[in-house]
Amino acid sequence: MKKLSVVVAGTGQIRDVEIQPGTTAGDILHQLNLSDYLLSRGPNEPFFANAESVYDKVKDGEKIFASTKAEVGIAVCA
Amino acid sequence: MRVRELGTRPAPVTMREILSQLVRGHGPAIFVRRREIPYWQERRWTRNGRTYTGSYQTPHAAFQGRIEEGWSGHLDFFLRHPSREIEQGGHWSCFVPRGDGWYLVHMARRPKDVSSGIMTIERLITEAYR
Repeated sequence: MKKLSVVVAGTGQIRDVEIQPGTTAGDILHQLNLSDYLLSRGPNEPFFANAESVYDKVKDGEKIFASTKAEVGIAVCA
Repeated sequence: MRVRELGTRPAPVTMREILSQLVRGHGPAIFVRRREIPYWQERRWTRNGRTYTGSYQTPHAAFQGRIEEGWSGHLDFFLRHPSREIEQGGHWSCFVPRGDGWYLVHMARRPKDVSSGIMTIERLITEAYR
């Protein structure tokens, strides 16, 4: 088991969770009722895919970020 | 259930005192309260009415930024003096010149809050330098 602190970007609220091996980003977001969000280890790191296992990629006690989905681009360059 | 939410309740003072006494050779632990503030404040952006000013910060470079919030909640993100790396990146066509070195960063999918938008642009900058 690992403990994580999930920072919700818009509010700064921190949600503490405990995850088991195999837990995906989607599992965490669903549990926290953050369905329109994406998880990442920070602004300089890529987003976790919804089905991606988070357990192996984070350290116990680490702070990760939940931010709303956004994409830079227009129809022709997205 | 794979995820168990633990909440945000701090440990009771008495419990902390007991735990600190168990550790021989150390003084009592000092409980450090964590700050729960939006990302834009953590990054030292400031807000004046409906305009936010600050900088997009990455390990590679930082750029002056401005965000304007419309009455409907619509957010426009601006970045000043983008570097050659950004110009050569895959998203350069999404930068619309607005004069005096400022560029509007066009969002195909708009973030719902200022913090998420700042993180998106900081991620774009980081990608441009990789």
